Amino acid sequence: MLSRTDVKPAQENSSTIQCREVCFRYFRQQPWIIDHFTYEFHPGITLIKGASGCGKSTLLRLMAGYLRPCSGLIFTPTGGMPGDPEFQRHDVGYVFQHLNLLPLATVTRNLTLAASLAGLDAEQTASQSAKWLRLLGIEEFAHRLPNSLSGGQQQRAAIARALVKEPLVLLLDEPTSGLDDLNTRVITRALHGYVTGPRICVISSHDSRLESSAHEVLDFNRFLPLERHLEALV
Amino acid sequence: MSSRAAGLLALVATVILVAFHLLERSIRERLERFGLNTVVVRETVVSESRELTVFAQAPDRLAPLASQGQKLRVRQLFVRGTTEWQNSLVVFTYPPEAFDDLAPFMSEETPLICFSETLPADALVRVIVNRQSKMAIIRRPQGWLRPLITEDMLFAPQGMWPDEERIGYIETTILQRRADALPVSHIVDAVNNFYAIERRSPPQVQSALPLIRELEKLKERQVQWRNLLAGILGLAVALVYGSIAVLEFRQNLFVTALLRSFGARRRYLFWRHLLENGLLANTAAICAVMILASLHKPLFGTLGFPGTVLNFSGDNPYTGAEILSILVWVNVGAFLSSIPILIGLRQPVGATLN
Repeated sequence: MLSRTDVKPAQENSSTIQCREVCFRYFRQQPWIIDHFTYEFHPGITLIKGASGCGKSTLLRLMAGYLRPCSGLIFTPTGGMPGDPEFQRHDVGYVFQHLNLLPLATVTRNLTLAASLAGLDAEQTASQSAKWLRLLGIEEFAHRLPNSLSGGQQQRAAIARALVKEPLVLLLDEPTSGLDDLNTRVITRALHGYVTGPRICVISSHDSRLESSAHEVLDFNRFLPLERHLEALV
Repeated sequence: MSSRAAGLLALVATVILVAFHLLERSIRERLERFGLNTVVVRETVVSESRELTVFAQAPDRLAPLASQGQKLRVRQLFVRGTTEWQNSLVVFTYPPEAFDDLAPFMSEETPLICFSETLPADALVRVIVNRQSKMAIIRRPQGWLRPLITEDMLFAPQGMWPDEERIGYIETTILQRRADALPVSHIVDAVNNFYAIERRSPPQVQSALPLIRELEKLKERQVQWRNLLAGILGLAVALVYGSIAVLEFRQNLFVTALLRSFGARRRYLFWRHLLENGLLANTAAICAVMILASLHKPLFGTLGFPGTVLNFSGDNPYTGAEILSILVWVNVGAFLSSIPILIGLRQPVGATLN
């Protein structure tokens, strides 16, 4: 359960993602997963770390507009709501925990689809796809199906798909879970290269290797109820 | 996996139904051979019988049956004859009153008739009964006598072999019931009751009734099996299509959620699905109608349908109104098949994709 208030004052039309008194739970019978959460995510990389089930991934989905808060508000850097399809098309890139690459489409096709839905023309799509495949070291797997790739390669393909439209907000859910150090380094290097200027990158992870790459770390464990502290420590 | 099981079930069902069909055909053939209206009564008369010793000619107790149809009374002797080619023969003798019935089979050369399916028809053959040699004409068993002729048989006038007749015989009466006569079951009951009243040992009464009962029982069992197999097959097909539908639904749910995560609008996704379903269903329906229309004549002609069906002089199934009605239902189906998409689109992306 998350409960956090007045960390920083929230403003509309800023270059930040602002969460104001956000409450969320999946079912009415459940306790709140996120309870009156207020926070402002600034440009740069923010790492949300915490134990399983503390609400990290849920918060990312709320910020992407994939879930709607039960109460409270979330403002995007463009001043709108995250559920706005225009924001989702152009300004947000999301890497799911389960990647969700289209299994019957090649890596290139997965990237092309995301780019074309973002409104990129064919030339831009081709150049952007080539760029991110090269930067993430998977250009030689461009014409292969996701299932024929290793876990690390799939993870990089999913990140490439999120980055192909070069969004303002990049949200990554456990992007390095189960990856070796080399793969993790490739990903963090690519993120560091990308997240400049007004771009906001929020990573939800319990991977401590990412802490050094983050500009800001938000520890969700401190919002856990007392009885779950031991579990979080373990 | 489940489609393979359905295929196996269909195969088992086919085997069972074919077995039933073969069994039914066999009974029908036996029934046809014996005749629906035939009753054969056999009564054994041996040398100790009072009738045989006291009366030279036993009385015909079944004479009243003549009012119910065509009746023939013959005696099957306890001896067997042979032909000159060593074919074994069952020997019958017939009384003078059977001349009329047997006349079509007799020849001018001899009153002896040898009924056989295998020996050369209409040829004269030498037959030997109890070392006495006679000539007989070979005939194919035909008409209402056919049920009686189950193997090669020799029919001779009564009194030709008196010593053999004196030993005993099987009094055999065959009745071919008239269409307007009492039902076969009534006749069988009457014969049995008659012998029971006379306190005589019951005769062997042979009719089509057991075969009819067997056929009815078989049909009943066939219907039960058909229902059972249809139920099982229906269940299997429902499971197969249900599984496909569930997989299709989940796949569509995943794809639409993914496209929505990229910012695709719900309305756009729904209309895209609806148009795709409509296009596919309409194309398939129109192609099916066109193919059937072009194959109509050869297809229905091969199946032996009358000319009115072939030339559309009766009902034309390919008129604009008929096709329009088909297309309306096809589009209703296309719309209904898009409803799961609508349900999926109502779910938040975050609840579908993890």
